Amino acid sequence: MTRALSWFLSLLALGALGLMLGIFTWQSGPVWQAEGIGYLTGGRWFFRQHQFGALPMIYGSVVVSLVALFLAAPIGLGAAVFTAEYLPPRARMPVKTLIELLAGIPSVVYGLLGILLLRDWVYERFARFDPLSGDTLLTAGVLLAVMILPTIVTLGDDALRAVPAAQRRAARALGLLRAESILHVVLPQARRGLGAALLLATGRALGETVAVFLVVGRQDNNLPSPWYSLRPLLESGQMLTTKLGGAETHIAWSDPVHWAAIVGLGLILLALTGALALFGAAFGRRSDA
Amino acid sequence: MRKLTDVGVAIVAGCCALISVGLLVGLVAVIAARGAPALSWSFFTGQIRLVGAAGGIFWNLVGTLILLVTACAACTPLAVGIALLERVWLTGERRRSWLRTALYAMNGLPSVLFGLFGFILFVQWLGWGKSWLAGGLVLALSMLPTVTLALIERLRAIPARYVEAAAAAGLNRAQIVWAVLLPQARGGLITGTLLGLARAAGETAPIMFTATIFAGATFPTAIRDSPVLSLPYHIFILAQDSFDPAVGTRLWGAALVLLGLVFSLSLLALPGRLKQHEEAHG
Amino acid sequence: MAECCPNPEPSTRAPLIEAIGLSVHAAGRPILRDVSLAVHRSQVFGLIGPSGAGKTTLLRSLNRLNDLIPGLRVSGEVTLHGASIYASGTDPNALRARVGMLFQQPVVFPTSIEENVLFGAKRLRHLPRSERPALTEHALREAALWDEVKDRLRTPASALSVGQQQRLCLARVLAVRPEVILMDEPTSALDPRSTQAIEELILRLKAVHTIVIVTHNVAQARRITDWIACVCVRDGAGEVVESACCDAVLGDPQCREVLDYLAQVPA
Repeated sequence: MTRALSWFLSLLALGALGLMLGIFTWQSGPVWQAEGIGYLTGGRWFFRQHQFGALPMIYGSVVVSLVALFLAAPIGLGAAVFTAEYLPPRARMPVKTLIELLAGIPSVVYGLLGILLLRDWVYERFARFDPLSGDTLLTAGVLLAVMILPTIVTLGDDALRAVPAAQRRAARALGLLRAESILHVVLPQARRGLGAALLLATGRALGETVAVFLVVGRQDNNLPSPWYSLRPLLESGQMLTTKLGGAETHIAWSDPVHWAAIVGLGLILLALTGALALFGAAFGRRSDA
Repeated sequence: MRKLTDVGVAIVAGCCALISVGLLVGLVAVIAARGAPALSWSFFTGQIRLVGAAGGIFWNLVGTLILLVTACAACTPLAVGIALLERVWLTGERRRSWLRTALYAMNGLPSVLFGLFGFILFVQWLGWGKSWLAGGLVLALSMLPTVTLALIERLRAIPARYVEAAAAAGLNRAQIVWAVLLPQARGGLITGTLLGLARAAGETAPIMFTATIFAGATFPTAIRDSPVLSLPYHIFILAQDSFDPAVGTRLWGAALVLLGLVFSLSLLALPGRLKQHEEAHG
Repeated sequence: MAECCPNPEPSTRAPLIEAIGLSVHAAGRPILRDVSLAVHRSQVFGLIGPSGAGKTTLLRSLNRLNDLIPGLRVSGEVTLHGASIYASGTDPNALRARVGMLFQQPVVFPTSIEENVLFGAKRLRHLPRSERPALTEHALREAALWDEVKDRLRTPASALSVGQQQRLCLARVLAVRPEVILMDEPTSALDPRSTQAIEELILRLKAVHTIVIVTHNVAQARRITDWIACVCVRDGAGEVVESACCDAVLGDPQCREVLDYLAQVPA
């Protein structure tokens, strides 16, 4: 009886997950039919004209996440090295707890802080590039960097601590300095776990909706030209998540193709974040095998 | 040269840690400083007036509470079921590994997707319109991996000798579950649930499609077309045109209260986590 | 000093390493109390005694590896060539290059055999590429491992057997050219054949290096040590209850604790 109950509940939960996948795939069908591969590669999204190209949003999501990673990874990994290698044991628990607590700040609160603190700062700092407002992809990227910082520190710390103490001891006993044991013994052995930490943090960044919604500008069809130009960073942009969180989702229901396009964005997001989560888990677990 | 590297690495690592902690603590301080003036008894017990420029957040708190309780009630049996499946009923490490992988993948999914799913399933297909129940169920889904993984860890940490003693006394697996595993894992379930709730309390995306509106709702009386107010959504809407100064302080006050709620839930989970940590490393 | 023990050579009469009144506390609880011993050049100095008496702590006090454990307080003095190693201003890292250590469980780094051997040597000082193969060969020969690995220096060290890994760790220490080698039960994790190989190594190495070895194996002590100090627990802390040449301690122990210990341990 207990066994049957466990199976039932598990299948209910996993069934919900499967249902979600199924619904997203099925309901996005019409837009794949209408646009084909152009859905992913098209750079124009004008829903009234039934033109649906998701590339600007994919670009927005990816570039904002990369900016966040670029800013947060060095600081986060440095902080992780500090907590794992330099912090005395009695201070570890309080500091780790503090960082995990701070990781729990809700995204809407971050959004509020972004509006207050970050918008004007970006607008003024980059004034010579003549931005139209402080709501840009860069603003979103910087905000996201602060949001994923605690995640990187916590997961990075775990990865470094997974390296056995005997390795550090053996290195120090040879006469190596602490920094040398960190650089030549601990970091190389923690590579896998640190990579997993960054992958998981990137996944979090890609999926963030509300905080970036408030500061990214939500301007469609912003693609760089030429492709390597950094100009869009200082312009308002759109991300997969911010489009989903916007008004279109509510009004698209009545139009099958429009709705399919919206759900399709969800499917792309699901594929990207799901893949990152899976890679991150696989990467990380092999390091402690 | 070597000495220089040694000192350099220490300094760089220390600075990074200082930046990380200082930045985040500073942000909390900003929220506290700006939001504290708004806190008062009437703020907590009054309802919104003048589109947020006056009044309090009472019904927002009620709404959030309703959503969290629903989420907790829906999530707990599912999490227990999955955890038991993984630890007790599934045979073969490969199948367990698959299950855990599915959970890790689910853990990485953005909450906005669960919101979209809830919109399609509950709001449209089942015709509920915006409903507190839909919001609670969607939050339960988004919390599920957190709680389940915490519970699996806790079950894994139960010393084998308890299970062996019970088996030697003649109990079958189901009886062992009720007699040994579940009572021992209760602490882990509570801890995991608190952590999941802490995350869910701050979520806006799942509920903005399915359950919440900005103003006008009080206590829901049915399932269909029974939205609730909520704290995160309140902040979200007001943040989008935050130029009215009267709104300003109240907005920060709401943010401070939300922060307090999330932190309290996390801190409540702390004793359980410390105990688990000690048992594992002690 | 027992009557039968030979005096150390006049030219090396001053001890190489000396502990004078060494005491170690952890969180208020004493681990070692008032330990005094003297290790002379080219001696194999054995530390025996029951588990938990503090032998490993004593050993680690000689190369300041205890510094890495927070909460340990060391008082008293330890000198190397007459100079205190705990004096403020002394560099513990340089000390550890001169006083090397071999652990009970071999700890190889997850790189190639060659990389392992050179790990410390190439970072402690500038080691030109041209000198590296020669140093690798010399260290591996000294550790009696060269013939077994000379064709696979680039292969991972983790593929070696436990006995080979321990000899690799020894080669790694030898590559740094220490004066003293501390060994913490180096053969207790090994099979008899590897144990014998290491014991023969120690007897050969003592011509050039000085060795302090912690061992549980009384027969091993009898085979390889010149001088023995017995560390036993008295009044809650480890103390050196007897220190004399090997034959004196094992043949005719003076202390009651040593007698008890030797009676328990199968010789």
